[in-house]
Amino acid sequence: MNPLLAQFLAEANDLLAQVDEGLLQLERVPGDPELVNEVFRAAHTFKGSSGLFDFPELTRLTHAAEDLLDAVRGGRLTLDSGMTDDLLAAFDLIRGWLAHVTTHERLPASAGTDAAGLITKLRAPLGGEAAPAAARTAGVPAPVIDVAPDWLAWLDAEWLTETAAWLATTSSTLRFVWYTPDTDCFFRAEDPLHLVRQVPALEKLGVVQPEAWPAPEDYDEYTCMLSFVVVTRAAMGELNHLFRYVPDQIEIVELDSDAITRHLSGEPPLRAEEAVSVVVTAVIDSEVSADARAVLQAAHRALTLEGAVAEGARLRSVRHAVAAAAWALGVPVDVAESSPDELIATVVRLAGEAAPAPVAPIPAQLQTQAVAPHEEKEPVGRADDPGGQVGTRVLKVDQEKVDRLMELVGELNVAKNGLTFLADAAEEEFGSRVLSRRIKDQYAGLHRIAEELQAAVMDVRMLPLSVAFGRFPRLVRDLSRRLGKTIELVTEGEDTMADKDVIEALGDPLVHLVRNSLDHGIETSDERIAAGKHAAAKLTLAAVADGDAVIVEVSDDGRGVDPERVKRKAYEKGLISEEELETLTETEAVDLVFRPGFSTADQVSDLSGRGVGMDAVRASVEKLGGTVTMRSKFGHGTSTRLRLPLSMAVTQVMVFSVGGQRFGIPVDLVVETVRVPAGEMSRVLHQEVVMMRGEVVPVIDLARALDMPSTLAEGADRPILVVSVNNQRVGLLVEQFHREVDVILKPMEGLLAYADEFSGTALLGDGLVLLVLNMKEVLGLAARVA
Amino acid sequence: MPLELHDETANLVGVVTVDEVEQLAGWLRAAKRPKVSLRRCNHLHTGALQALLLFRPKISSAPNDAFLAAQVLPLLTGSSGPANKQGSDPP
Amino acid sequence: MTSDTATRARVLVVDDAATVRLYHSSLLTGAGFEVSEAANGLEAVEAALVTDFDLFVVDVNMPKMNGYACVEALRSENVGSAAPVVMISTEDRPGDADRAYLAGANLYLVKPVNGDRLVRVATMLTAEVAA
Repeated sequence: MNPLLAQFLAEANDLLAQVDEGLLQLERVPGDPELVNEVFRAAHTFKGSSGLFDFPELTRLTHAAEDLLDAVRGGRLTLDSGMTDDLLAAFDLIRGWLAHVTTHERLPASAGTDAAGLITKLRAPLGGEAAPAAARTAGVPAPVIDVAPDWLAWLDAEWLTETAAWLATTSSTLRFVWYTPDTDCFFRAEDPLHLVRQVPALEKLGVVQPEAWPAPEDYDEYTCMLSFVVVTRAAMGELNHLFRYVPDQIEIVELDSDAITRHLSGEPPLRAEEAVSVVVTAVIDSEVSADARAVLQAAHRALTLEGAVAEGARLRSVRHAVAAAAWALGVPVDVAESSPDELIATVVRLAGEAAPAPVAPIPAQLQTQAVAPHEEKEPVGRADDPGGQVGTRVLKVDQEKVDRLMELVGELNVAKNGLTFLADAAEEEFGSRVLSRRIKDQYAGLHRIAEELQAAVMDVRMLPLSVAFGRFPRLVRDLSRRLGKTIELVTEGEDTMADKDVIEALGDPLVHLVRNSLDHGIETSDERIAAGKHAAAKLTLAAVADGDAVIVEVSDDGRGVDPERVKRKAYEKGLISEEELETLTETEAVDLVFRPGFSTADQVSDLSGRGVGMDAVRASVEKLGGTVTMRSKFGHGTSTRLRLPLSMAVTQVMVFSVGGQRFGIPVDLVVETVRVPAGEMSRVLHQEVVMMRGEVVPVIDLARALDMPSTLAEGADRPILVVSVNNQRVGLLVEQFHREVDVILKPMEGLLAYADEFSGTALLGDGLVLLVLNMKEVLGLAARVA
Repeated sequence: MPLELHDETANLVGVVTVDEVEQLAGWLRAAKRPKVSLRRCNHLHTGALQALLLFRPKISSAPNDAFLAAQVLPLLTGSSGPANKQGSDPP
Repeated sequence: MTSDTATRARVLVVDDAATVRLYHSSLLTGAGFEVSEAANGLEAVEAALVTDFDLFVVDVNMPKMNGYACVEALRSENVGSAAPVVMISTEDRPGDADRAYLAGANLYLVKPVNGDRLVRVATMLTAEVAA
């Protein structure tokens, strides 16, 4: 593509977006002069650029829109919703055209007719078509003849021959419609044959049957396999109206005798607008003198206009222009010192000269490049060819819209899950196994689509980690200055992608970890040098994808964690027993920093000692379904590793009921579900336990922990859900197990926002709200209840 | 009732909608030598036309409806032009 | 301007439409000019403060600083450029050209400008003649 055209398409995209946005805003804030001006300017710039190409319809249509906007800008018109609609329609049409231009480098053949109605509408509030434009369009636009498409072959050649002869005799045209209904159109209550029989002035109908019919036993009577070729005398407008609900299933062309004859003879189609070769003539003398006289006229005007200040730079520029024009005319003059009056006299004298031949013809160093797009063979497409795009298109979408989309996906999942309930009901309540199976088939199809849709939306939500890392260079710079430490920040793996919610949720924990590192981990330069380290400390933020998870690591080469000091501190604070003080390994000791109430800093600094410790980091990461671990080598540095799910939008949840109410628990935590005879339950101290494969598993009565009535009969089997929390197995005594479902977890809101025993809510297929347990909190709760 | 189905013969009456398509296809599938009368048929849903085109029953009487008689009947009685052939892609 | 001129004439193309800028500058570059670009009047004035241009090709309707204001600024004492200014606009209403001349332009052309003509005019106005 010619670079100028490419530039135009790229620029057009932005301008059209500006126009659209402005127009829509104007509907909300009618008459905002700033907005009107913005829209006008965008339309104006667009028109100016379009004039560089041989797209007369485009320029004409934009011109009409621009004039309307100009009138609004000047206060002569008030923009109403009708005008806004017309303007939007005009720019939509243009967008369609540009998509066509992108692929074919020319406007669609129907551009003239498509634009005509809109131009009239746009000009109506201004008192009709502007005179100059009318002169250019030269009356009624002739019908634009398309190229015969391949599908014409479905029509009987004999009939085509006769028809071509008749069209030639009468100099008329016919419209040909190629209608390929979607295979699933019956489900949308479409009846293509019904639509076809409504075509007025039908000349000929061709019904195209499938290449091969399926075997009768495989035949699905609800799949549409027919296509139609419709030939009619009806006008384009009538056809567009009739087929307005299936625009993507039809293709309409207008053909005359020649086009059909060419098709029949197998000749390559002739372009409706055959390229006319333009001979670029060499610049001739008269053109140069015309230019020169134009410059002289301008100089004259500039010197005689009221208020024109002919002095300083302005006067010198006029002298220069006059001298240049005179030189070009072959009558050199010396006006270097001329006053305005003298200049006027010179100009008048020069202009009076009978166009003399120039002394030296000015060579045309450049022949105008053909800006007109190439005429190339192209497949016949509709005006707003859906296959094409305006330039490379990147959409910027509001986050809210993506969120909304995700919510809808969630609702779709819910509705989809509802089908399984329906299938069960069909079989159990209505005794129809066939219906049940058909519903399940439908479910399977829907499930696949829903999964793909979900994946597609999730993909849209992915953001690079650089978004989360972005704030750190500045933060580290400011903090290190304040602390008098020299720190080099290194980021790695910024391109790693993760769901935007994950990225957002990472923000606070990361800030905390980085601050912690700066504050406690990294030594001052003096200390570092004394320890034999490089004066500048290194702080690394690294991200790497690991299957369904993303790992983010904050590491420094600071002083590291002193396990002995940590243990001592924990002991002093009553976090560990004296025995643990002796037995805890180094790794376990380091992990103590995540205990609530632990803080190693002897003084509370203003940086990270705001009462939020590492326990808060761990809690918030675990709330996201992630884990935090810390490795440290005393004297050599610390590395904190956050492991988070790549996406937290969909969670698989195991549903069970307690006290007649349903709850959920993330499937990841579930080890197994068992039914234990009541007699096999035993008690160790105050704790109910069950022996499983030689292991004693404590059992928590969820009903009791959640303060709900227990409905289990005395001697009945005990349904126990075995979960693994912190590498410990715990049995949850529930009332009944249900299925596993995919849900979109929503954070707790409103009254329940402080109910820590729940990590979120989800909507079930039958409309019930499911509370999903936060296992850690539930265990704590159970301990307190006991 | 738009479908009057007998063992080997069927009358299509009035407007045959999408709701009748399954039943019609089922009958065509089962009948050994189906015969169909279109005399009183005013419109056929595309799905019904498609089933008739696939199973090719004998058309025992022509429709009174002008559109069906002119445009659809020729497809069903075998005098099909190029547009109706079970052919390959357009040349 | 003759072909053996030691230095090529410098032109500043001022237009907010990138397409138009590209069009004008490629025409002029092809014709042997040294071309710089500015996307609005303000940028143009800033450029003119740094570089002595031999010609300005200026659009009228631009954001931030329109063409008229731009030319006025070029002619002001601060910048003091006496180089010829060709204003190019889509506006073709009576009075538009006068506004351009009042501002200090030396020629007013209506878009789209024929490429040959732009090159001819530019060549003429940058010819090293008197004044």
